Amino acid sequence: MTLHVIQPRPRLTGREIGRIVLSMTMACLVGAAVLGAVYLGTDRYRRAATETSEREAIRDMLGLGADARLIEVRQYLAPALRRVVYLAAPFGGAAGRAREVIFTLDGALAGERSLSAPVAEPRGLLPLSRLFVALRGRELAGFVVEGRAQGYKSVIRFFVAMRPDFEIVDMRVIETQDDPGLGAEVAQPWFREQYVGRTAEEIAHLTVTRDPMPEDWKAALIAFARRAPDGPARHLALLQRERRRPVYAVTGATISSRAVTDGVKNTVDHFRRRWWLLAPHLEGQL
Amino acid sequence: MSRRGPRAPGREGASRAATWLLGLGLVAAWLLSAAPVPAAGPSSPATPVPAAAPRLLSARVHAPNELRLRFSAPLARLDPENFRLTLALEPDIPIPLQDVRTAPGNRLILTFGQRLQPADHYRLEVVAPPLRRDVKPATWALLLTVMLAAALINNFVFTRYLGLCIFFGVSKRRDTAIGMGITFTLVMIFTAMLSWALDTFVLRPLHLGFLQILVFIGVVAFVVQFLDTMLRKTHPGLHRRFGIYLVLITTNCIILAVPLLNAQSSSGPLDALALAAGSGVGFAFALFLMSCARERMEYARVPQPFQGLPIAFALAGLFALAFMGFSGLDFFR
Amino acid sequence: MSTAPQSPPTPPPTKIASPVPSARELILNGILAENPVFRLALSLCPAVAVTTTVANGLLLGVAVLCVQVLSSVTVSLAHGLIHPRVRIPVYTIIIAVWVSAIDMALQAFTPALYAQVGLYVKLIVAFAIIISRLEIFASRQPLAPSFFDGLGMGLGFLIALVTIGAFRELLGSGAIAGIPLAPGKPLLFFALPAGGFFSIGLLMAFFNWVERRAQGARAKAPSPSGGHGV
Repeated sequence: MTLHVIQPRPRLTGREIGRIVLSMTMACLVGAAVLGAVYLGTDRYRRAATETSEREAIRDMLGLGADARLIEVRQYLAPALRRVVYLAAPFGGAAGRAREVIFTLDGALAGERSLSAPVAEPRGLLPLSRLFVALRGRELAGFVVEGRAQGYKSVIRFFVAMRPDFEIVDMRVIETQDDPGLGAEVAQPWFREQYVGRTAEEIAHLTVTRDPMPEDWKAALIAFARRAPDGPARHLALLQRERRRPVYAVTGATISSRAVTDGVKNTVDHFRRRWWLLAPHLEGQL
Repeated sequence: MSRRGPRAPGREGASRAATWLLGLGLVAAWLLSAAPVPAAGPSSPATPVPAAAPRLLSARVHAPNELRLRFSAPLARLDPENFRLTLALEPDIPIPLQDVRTAPGNRLILTFGQRLQPADHYRLEVVAPPLRRDVKPATWALLLTVMLAAALINNFVFTRYLGLCIFFGVSKRRDTAIGMGITFTLVMIFTAMLSWALDTFVLRPLHLGFLQILVFIGVVAFVVQFLDTMLRKTHPGLHRRFGIYLVLITTNCIILAVPLLNAQSSSGPLDALALAAGSGVGFAFALFLMSCARERMEYARVPQPFQGLPIAFALAGLFALAFMGFSGLDFFR
Repeated sequence: MSTAPQSPPTPPPTKIASPVPSARELILNGILAENPVFRLALSLCPAVAVTTTVANGLLLGVAVLCVQVLSSVTVSLAHGLIHPRVRIPVYTIIIAVWVSAIDMALQAFTPALYAQVGLYVKLIVAFAIIISRLEIFASRQPLAPSFFDGLGMGLGFLIALVTIGAFRELLGSGAIAGIPLAPGKPLLFFALPAGGFFSIGLLMAFFNWVERRAQGARAKAPSPSGGHGV
């Protein structure tokens, strides 16, 4: 670099340079101090807000009351050891014990133990996925599993809620950046409610059609999603007819519709396989 | 403006100090980013294999559901139990293998009962000969995808609506648009890499994420000041031509958005570079297109209330509509 | 108008002896005569980006209002301490600090809305409108007028964003603030990026037309300059 060409400026006294440097340094330090204080003040609320919104979404999807307990299960990969690690703990740092269960990649149990305090973010482990188990008293009330699918332009993240017998109760798109008209409609109630009420077996063989959606079915789905008084009855009446039919794609967004359907399919299937392995080892939690 | 007015001596002194500091910082950043960065996730250059065993030469995913392998010698075991393919992020769920076929030249075609995406990251494990291999698109292909996405699919001007002030201000004439485009792309790359280095090696390890905005805007200001001083001293001709654009860059929000996006997705050095280059090129492209259209607009009869900015907005709307055609463009599809 | 400072740095500001305008004049100036979006055409990025709904426009407008008022007040209070030669960098630091603070506060207290406009809140730091008000006004005036000037500019921005948001939401999804109003099929186009550009173009042309009509009625003579200079 040719920095030597820069000539010294005679008109600037050392004292003035000192004042300028002092002025800038003071501004930076005061700014950083103010930001540090604001960060410390708001960080607690930010965490609480994220947790509350997730808790509300899960309660709402599963139709739970205030008495229900939620357990969060996080899945990690220990890359070097080729182990899958599950950490189960009461959701949101509530009081209670945590449990760690470790499997090999082939599904053989490699270790389990109870932890007195939940670990915030274990080191050296690669986070893979999350799921939530809801309990009413000692009884299983349902599951919410996070899934993802590659949409038209962006990754679509969604929650699938299931009853203990793996029938779909609700599905919600959490994040998508696709444009309206080009895929964003998969978040619309009349599209996502199509999965509701189908059993895991029906989901496993679900296909997508480009046929137009029957008007009465669309109206019933919207009424159901809006929690209209006659919604559940209308939905149930038509579900008997529609549950043998494929999912109707969003017009002009077949790729996203297929991607979301495949994503729901895989999410439900993989969750069931993992849950059968994991459930017997969560005794302290359930 | 051919020559700058009388310079404030204080700024000169401060900028001389800044120049040295920045030069040192840049060299340090370059050294750090040139050092080998450990690859994210599990990467295994295969377990030790006896010399006679066939080696895996290449592995590629073919849509919709095939994996094509090429070995150095024929394989002994061809039963489906010999192979295990999983998504890198779902290592505990093997993808059901339906069929193994051989093809001439020691090739194998594995057909799976599930759709495979060429852009995804998979992991292949073979029992005999024992080997593990990550199956993912080549790095250059991924980088090209990031760049194309930043320049066309998510063009910062037409689909993310950033940098509009400069965009409408500088797109009146074609030569200014070209000058701004070139200057901006270069400064963008410079700033984004410096911000990335600061974020990765200073802010993140020290948990100072809340200083991001302050640090990034500081980097932009310093880089612009540094280049301005350097260019004036070393290449006055170039400075006369491009200096004015340098000053304008500080008010362009794209220059701040790219470091923020990089920090948000905690991308690696190459991803950060690709995003910076792509967004710079995308902005230059948008500016060039717009200036061509606006030069022609001067000969059109525009209704009086629409003269000036309103009709320019309508033009930008038409370009945005055209750019929607790029969404869904996929290198791997 | 110009979109950014194109002239070499001006000499350090001096106190202006002109009478200080009243609070009402200052606020009205920001909302009407020098509306940052429609009249000055500054800080346009968020005006297109986040105005798909009224709520998004409102949130960003409030954020800008807070940053503008707080920065104006800070500069007005601290201008004796700032070395005149580094005033622009110091203004930038002040703005960056307030933007970061507002950003963290919004993230903590309105997480759902923040998820949609987060990046644009951070980018407020690069808005030409805020730093230009600091340079032109707050650095030369005492506390109270600076406060009202910041308030006026911020309100002008807020009102512009909400207007565009209402226009686009009404046409694009047939509702305002989530309440369905217009029957029939909405024009999806206005919710798309392209529709944002068209909406602003149309609204600007409308304000130009209204202004020309008003001038024509007042002076019976056509105004020499129609529309914007860009």
